[in-house]
Amino acid sequence: MNALKIGLLIVVAVLLLVFIVDRAREAAPLREINKSLVQLNEASQQQIQELHALRQAVEAHPAQVSSGTGSAPSVDPKLTIADPKNPTATQPAVDKDRDGNPKLGVNFLIPYDRSFFHPEWVGGTLKVFDATPKQLNPLTDNSATTQSVHALVNDSLCERPPTHPEQWSSCLAESAVISDDFKVYTFNIRKGIRWQRPAIAKRAEFKWLDTDVELTADDFKFTLDLIMNPAVDCPSLRNYYEDLDKVEVLDPQTLRISWKRKVYTSLSASLGVSPLPRHIYGRNRDGTPIPAEQLGVTFNKHWFDELRGVVGVGAYLLDDYQPDKIMRFRRNPDYWGVSFHFEAIEWILDVKQDDAQLVGFKNGQVHVDGLAPLKYKSEILDHNEPRFAAFDPANPKAGRQGQLGWERVKSMSFSYLGWNMRHAPFNDKRVRQAMSFAFPKDRIIKEVFYGLGQPVLSDVHPDSQYCNKDLKPFTFDLAKAKTLLAEAGWTDSDGDGILDKTTDGVKKSFSFTIKYIANRPEYDNTLMIFSNELRKIGIEMKPSPFEWKELMRVLEDKDFDAVVGAWQMDWDIDYFQLWHSSQVDLQGSSNHCGFANKEVDELADKLRTTFDTAERVAIAKRIQAIIAEEQPYTFFRSGEGIFCWQNQGAPAKDRYLDGISQGLDQLNPLVNRSRLFWHFRN
Amino acid sequence: MLAYVVRRLLLMIPTFLGILVINFAVMRLQGFTLAEQMKVESGKGSEGVASERKVQGASKNVENYIDRFRRAGNDLPALINTRGFWTKADVVSTLQVAAPAHGVRSNSGSRAEKQLWLAGHFAVEPLYQVLADDALKELHPAAATAFALCAYASVDPGNVRELSSVELNRIQSLNETLRNNRFDSIADPAYAAKRKVLMSVYEDPLNRTAFAHSKGKAWKALFVETGFTDLMVKLFTGRLYSETHKEYAFTLIGERWYISFGLNFLSIIIAWGISIPLGIRSARRVGTLEDRATTNSLFLLWSLPSFFVGTLLLHHLCTDTSHGAALFPNRGLSSDDSMWYSTPAYLLDLLWHATLPLIVLCYGSFTSLSRYMRGNLLDQLNADYTRTARAKGASEDAVIYGHAVKNSMLTMITLGAGLLSELFGGFVIVESIFSIQGLGTLLLDAARQQDAPLIMASTVISVGLLLVGILVADLLYAVVDPRIRSKYG
Repeated sequence: MNALKIGLLIVVAVLLLVFIVDRAREAAPLREINKSLVQLNEASQQQIQELHALRQAVEAHPAQVSSGTGSAPSVDPKLTIADPKNPTATQPAVDKDRDGNPKLGVNFLIPYDRSFFHPEWVGGTLKVFDATPKQLNPLTDNSATTQSVHALVNDSLCERPPTHPEQWSSCLAESAVISDDFKVYTFNIRKGIRWQRPAIAKRAEFKWLDTDVELTADDFKFTLDLIMNPAVDCPSLRNYYEDLDKVEVLDPQTLRISWKRKVYTSLSASLGVSPLPRHIYGRNRDGTPIPAEQLGVTFNKHWFDELRGVVGVGAYLLDDYQPDKIMRFRRNPDYWGVSFHFEAIEWILDVKQDDAQLVGFKNGQVHVDGLAPLKYKSEILDHNEPRFAAFDPANPKAGRQGQLGWERVKSMSFSYLGWNMRHAPFNDKRVRQAMSFAFPKDRIIKEVFYGLGQPVLSDVHPDSQYCNKDLKPFTFDLAKAKTLLAEAGWTDSDGDGILDKTTDGVKKSFSFTIKYIANRPEYDNTLMIFSNELRKIGIEMKPSPFEWKELMRVLEDKDFDAVVGAWQMDWDIDYFQLWHSSQVDLQGSSNHCGFANKEVDELADKLRTTFDTAERVAIAKRIQAIIAEEQPYTFFRSGEGIFCWQNQGAPAKDRYLDGISQGLDQLNPLVNRSRLFWHFRN
Repeated sequence: MLAYVVRRLLLMIPTFLGILVINFAVMRLQGFTLAEQMKVESGKGSEGVASERKVQGASKNVENYIDRFRRAGNDLPALINTRGFWTKADVVSTLQVAAPAHGVRSNSGSRAEKQLWLAGHFAVEPLYQVLADDALKELHPAAATAFALCAYASVDPGNVRELSSVELNRIQSLNETLRNNRFDSIADPAYAAKRKVLMSVYEDPLNRTAFAHSKGKAWKALFVETGFTDLMVKLFTGRLYSETHKEYAFTLIGERWYISFGLNFLSIIIAWGISIPLGIRSARRVGTLEDRATTNSLFLLWSLPSFFVGTLLLHHLCTDTSHGAALFPNRGLSSDDSMWYSTPAYLLDLLWHATLPLIVLCYGSFTSLSRYMRGNLLDQLNADYTRTARAKGASEDAVIYGHAVKNSMLTMITLGAGLLSELFGGFVIVESIFSIQGLGTLLLDAARQQDAPLIMASTVISVGLLLVGILVADLLYAVVDPRIRSKYG
C-alpha cells in the first residue's frame, strides 16, 4: 500500500516537472515566427551579398591597373584583390624603402592590401570556442575577448598587415603624415564609410538610430576625448595617452593629433585608434544629446552597453549574443573594405574546460583549436588520435594533411625564471649566472615541452629583428656553476651536502623557494628536473605552486626569492616597464626582480624617443647584452603551441587546405594565431 | 514545541554569523584582490603558461593602483580599523620604515608604504602635519606622495552617478592638483611651491571636513569602516557586485539556479529511489552472497572519484572517433536547435544530454545512502517490537514495510537535512566536464578569478539553505518522535 503511495507521488512529481518544462517552452511558437523572419532576412542579405561581390569583382579589375601607376604617395591606391585565376600574380611588391621607419612630412603608410582575399572563396561559418566577454565596451573592458570582438566589428585608423606587421598600412585613414618633430600626426580619413546599424534600430523605441551615419574625424576626436576624460573607467588605456596634447578636427575628413613630447609610443597610440560611434555614445536612450560635462560619467554605464550592443565600421556585424552560450557575427554587407572569407563567425562560449574543448573539436563542433604540450604528446606524438597526421621529423608541414590538420605556431611570448635581486642569495651576479648555467634548458624543452618553443637568451623573440643573437648562451654546465658559486663565497663548509656562506657571523645555507603557477604539469616537471640538477651542486630549491591571481599578488609585492613567469610581447619594443630603475621601488610595478642599471636606464629612455628602426635595433641589442650579463632572469623559452583545424567535411577540400597552408606560409610567424582565420574557409 | 522552535531559530543566528566571519577571514588570508583589471591571457594552446601582458608605462600612474584596491573594498582593514587614531608619530615611523635605506628597498618597506597609501582620508591629517614640519624635511618627498594618494578621491562607476557635475568637476580638479604636485626629492626646484599647494589642499575648508580627525569619527570607523562591515552591508542590501562579470552577484545566481536545481533534483530522486530499496534488499538478505557482492561493488564505485569517471565517460562515450559518431553529447543540457523540437522530443533530448551527468552525480551517493538504510533497518529488525510483530503472526512484508522501514526512515531524516542546500549547490566538477552552465561553473570561474563577492553570495545562499534544512529536519524529528516533543512540552 505504502509502495503504491510512493509510486503515485513520484508519478505526480514527474508530471509536475513535465508541466513546468512545457510551460517554460510556451515562448516556442513566438520564436518559431522569429526564426522564419530571420530566415527571410538571411535570404535577402544573401542577395545583397551577391550583388556586392559582383560589384567588387567589377571594380577590382580596373583598380589594379591604376594602382601600378600611382606616383604621389598621398593618393591611396584602390583596394587590391587577388585575381581569382592566379592568386600570386597580384602580390604587391614591398617597397624596400618602406622598412617601418616613419617618413616625415609625407604619407608613409603602405597601401591597403587584401591580395590574399579570394572573392570566390566567400561562404561558410567558422566556429570557434571562446570565452564570454565581461562587457562589450572597448574602452572600459580591456580583456582579450572584448578586444577580439572589436577586431571583428571595428577597424582602426591604420593597421599592421598580418603579412608584414612591422609596417603600418592604410585602413580607415587613407594617409597619415607625421610632422618633422614627431609630435603632430595628420590623418586623412576615407570618405563614404558608414557606421553599422545596430540590431536594436529595428525597435520602435530606437527609430532615431535607423539612419545612415558617416564616419568622420569627429568620431575619432570623441573617442580620444573620452579616453582622456578622467571620469571614464579606462585607466590602463589612458596610460598610453598621457602625453597627448590635443585632438583637432580640421574638416570632416581630416584629423590632427598633437603630442606634448616626442615619444615612440605616440606612433602606435595615434595610428591604432579605433573610432567609437559618437551618434550613439553621445546620446541618451531617447536620442537627445548628452551634455558634454556628463559624457564621461554616463559613458561608464551607457544604455547601449547595457543592451549589449556593439557597432563599428568593420567587416562583421554582431548578430546574436547570448552570454555563456553563443556569439554570432555576420558579414557586414555595407563594408567599405575587403574582409575575411566567412559568411558568419560563431563563438561558442559554454565550453571552458580544456578536455571538454578538445572533445568538442574532435566532435566537429568547432573548426579550430589549440593543443598544450601534454595534449600534443598524447594526441599527436603518441598518435592516440588517428585522425591527426602522424608527426614526421623530416617534414614540419606533414600535420596539414590529416583528417584533422595541425601545425606548430609561434607566439610572441617568453617565459623565464626570475631571481629577486633585492636580497641574498640572488643579489650577487655570479650566483644568478650560476643558476643559469645549472638550468638544463634544452633538455627540459625537449623532454617536458616535447620540443615546443625555442630557447631564448633575452626578452625578444628569436625571430624578431630586435633580437641580439651574439649573447652568451649559458649552456648547461654544472662545473662552471659550482666555480661561480665558490667565487661568490658559497661552499659546503660543514659537509652536509648543502652549500653555505657566512656573512656577518651568520651562517646561511643555500636553500630557497621558487614560486610558480599551479595546475600546469609542464612547470611542475620543469622545476623537478631543475631542482634535481641543483641538488647535485648542493642547492636546495623548493617549488611552491600558486594560483594565477595569487601569483600576480606575489609578483606585485615582490614577495619571492625566485619565480617562474612569462611575458606577452608587443611589436613596439620597450624596456622601460620591465627594466628601468624607476620601476624598482614602485608599488605594483613590473620590475619584479629589482633590476637597476644606469646604462640600461639611459638607453631605455633613449629608446622611447627614437623612431629610426636601425637605431632602435642597436639600442635594443645593447640593452639585451647588459641584461644577459646581469641575468636578473634566466631566460627560458619562447611561446609555441599547436594550432589544429578540421579538414573533414569542408565542401571544397583542396581550396580549404590551400587557405590554411597559404596562411601558415605567408603570414609573419609571430602574428597572433587568430590571424590565421584570414585564410579559413568552410 | 514553540520553545523548541524559538530555540532552534535563535541558535541559527550566531551560527550564520560565525560562518560568515570564517568565510571572510579565509578569503582575506588568501589575499583575494577583487577588482584586478590585469589582463589574463589563458594562453591555452599557444603557450602552456598564463602570461602577463606588457602594458607600456602602466605603473607610471599610481592612482590606478590605489583605485584597484579601493574599488574592491580591499583598502580597508579586515575587522578593526584603527587608522582614525593614527598620529603624526605613527606616520613618521611608517615613512621611515618605507624609505629605501641604501639602494634597493626591502619588502617590509614596500608593504609599509602600501599600508600608508591605502589608509585614505585617515592619514591625510597626520601627513599634513609631517609636511608642515620643517624638521622632517628628508621625509617630505615620501610624505607628499602619500599625501597626494591618500587625499586622492577615487571616481568609480559605482558612485559617480550620484555626484552632480559641479561636484565631479571639483573632485577632478582636486585630483589633478594632487597628481601634479607630488615631488620626488627636496632638490626639486618647485619643492617649496608644491609643498605649499599640497598643504593648501588640506587647509581648504571644503576639504577640511573630509580629512580632519575627530574622536567621534575615529571611534565610529573602528568597527564600521572595515572590510567585513563593508561586505555585510553589500550582502544584506543585495549590492554584492561581481567585477569579473560586471553584474550583481545575486542576479547572476538568479539567472542560473534552475539548471543546477533541476539536475540536482533528478539526481536526488534517483539516488534515493535506488539506494533505499537497495538498502532494504541488502538488509533482508544480510550475510548472503548477494549482500556481500552489492556491498563490495558499491564501495568500489564509491572509491572512484567523480572527476575521473566524468573525464573517462567524456573521452570514451562522448567523443567522435574515425569509426563514427559518439553515443552521448559532450556539452550542455540540450541540442543547439532544441528550441524547435516538440515537447516530447525536447524532453527526450534533455534526458539524452542529462544521462551521463546524472550518472556521475548519483553513483557516489548510492553507497552511503544504501549502507545507512541497511544498517538502520538491521537495527530495527533486531529490535524487540519486530520480534513482537513477528510473534503475533504478521507477514514478513507487513513487519518490514509496516514497522521496521518506517522507524528506520526516522534516522534518514538527519541525512535529508543537507538536501535543501544540495539542491541549490552546483556540482562544480560535473558541470565543468560536461560544459553545463549552472551554478557550479559560475562558482568555479569565481574561484579561479578570485571573485570574492560572487563566492560570498553563493556561500551565503548555500549556508542559509543548509541551516534551514537542518531546522526543518529538527522540526520533522520533533513531529515524528514523541520523545523530543515531550521534552519541550
